[in-house]
Amino acid sequence: MAEPYLSLEGMTKQFGGVPVVSTTNLAIDRNSLVVFLGPSGCGKTTLMRMVGGLDLPTSGTIRLDGEPVSGPDRRRGMVFQSYSSFPWLTVEGNIAFGMHYRNDLTAAEKAERVRHYLRLIRLEDFAGSYPNRISGGMRQRVAIARSLAAGPDVLLMDEPFGALDALTRERLQVELRQIQKTEAKTIIFVTHDVEEAVFLADRIILFSARPARILHDIDVSAVLGTERTLEARETQAFFNLRNDILHRIRTETELHL
Amino acid sequence: MWADLVAFRGKSSAKADLLLGAMLAAGLLLLWEAVARAGLVAPQFLPAPSAVLSAAWTMTTQQSLLWHAAVSTFRVLLAFAIAAAMAIPIGILMSSYRIVGAALEPTIDFIRYLPVPALVPLSIIWFGVGETTKIFLLWLGTFFQLVLLVADDMRRVPHEYVEVAFTLGAKPRNVLTDVALRAMGPTLVDNLRITLGWCWTYLVLAEIVAADSGLGFVIWSARRYVKTPEVMAGVVVIGIIGLVTDQVLRMLHRRMFRYL
Repeated sequence: MAEPYLSLEGMTKQFGGVPVVSTTNLAIDRNSLVVFLGPSGCGKTTLMRMVGGLDLPTSGTIRLDGEPVSGPDRRRGMVFQSYSSFPWLTVEGNIAFGMHYRNDLTAAEKAERVRHYLRLIRLEDFAGSYPNRISGGMRQRVAIARSLAAGPDVLLMDEPFGALDALTRERLQVELRQIQKTEAKTIIFVTHDVEEAVFLADRIILFSARPARILHDIDVSAVLGTERTLEARETQAFFNLRNDILHRIRTETELHL
Repeated sequence: MWADLVAFRGKSSAKADLLLGAMLAAGLLLLWEAVARAGLVAPQFLPAPSAVLSAAWTMTTQQSLLWHAAVSTFRVLLAFAIAAAMAIPIGILMSSYRIVGAALEPTIDFIRYLPVPALVPLSIIWFGVGETTKIFLLWLGTFFQLVLLVADDMRRVPHEYVEVAFTLGAKPRNVLTDVALRAMGPTLVDNLRITLGWCWTYLVLAEIVAADSGLGFVIWSARRYVKTPEVMAGVVVIGIIGLVTDQVLRMLHRRMFRYL
């Protein structure tokens, strides 16, 4: 059997003796968008942070392309829910900062990549603006572009659209799907929003309430295909899948979502 | 413009604010002048503002008031520069590495609560009555306050910024210089501005100790002869220097952090 691209083996995490993540095994394919879905505070974010090397597991190993993860580095980029674009840098400066520690690129290559990501997130007209002059949705696009500019293999996103209004959120979801295709990235996306999960995911990992345990592994692309447009949201298949997942959460986590 | 001034949480207008502030100050001065002129209070207790002004003029022309002011300013700036040069790196390290923070915090907290006047005798035993004692006392009043403020600024740098930098390939050293220092910049400069003001408050104390120059000396020796207008003139000069420095630093703050 071929080695999985990203593997989590026997992951557990305790904070001060309290279990947050119970034994979790997971294999993730290259170029797939995997959503960690579960009730708030269930430990799914902790699991993702361990993939990023930002939290150390109590036990277990994470391997990316066969190499064990021991701490944060440029191979796994991170986008947070809070607007983490640097306020002292312009939009352009923030994207360029993503490549600040890449000595393998020439200045010309870096400039070209900045232009590329500005185009990708459609903020060419705001290149010289500071983050506090642009909207929350724009700021999150900047944070995504900054992470992509560093050239990570895996992008980790922790409820990145959680603070945005519904319309902006919908747009960014569509854009993220496109970006994931054109940039060919493996993405782990954490959310507690079922609709968002179904729309974005190739595959949904449904977690229990704390301590996090995998309840279901749902192949969304097998049901909805890989092409996602806003119209996909209005199909019967989308509805059915959404309701099915909501139902499972209600019965199996016995939780108040 | 005027309606906003009296509205609950009304909009602020720079012009109206300035005008109102100036009007109140002028009003107080006029009241003071009137009270003094009417002879309601003995002049050695409350000389009229006009008397203070004329004393200031005589002191400037005949007693080199400006030179004394320059000496004091130099002392404050020197002591403050030393305090800041020490407090900024130490404060940052205190919040970056637990070993530094845990080791230093109790000692700094202890010294911070010692009143500076209580340390004047010790300072004289250590450094004599020369320039060193004055700089030491000013430094003492500033450093221990500033270092904790800097440590706090560093602690408040959002953890997301630090983690994002790590996932972009930064090393801890890079995070300090490229992210933390930039993120804490505005509050750091603000705290420098505030502690520079505190440094001035220790000036008179430092210059009472066997000094023959500086505004503190001027004020203290005028007191000996109950030359109240001169005492007040000295105090006013300190106030003016403080006001001007504060405004200059605020302007610098706006220039340096245009993105705010």
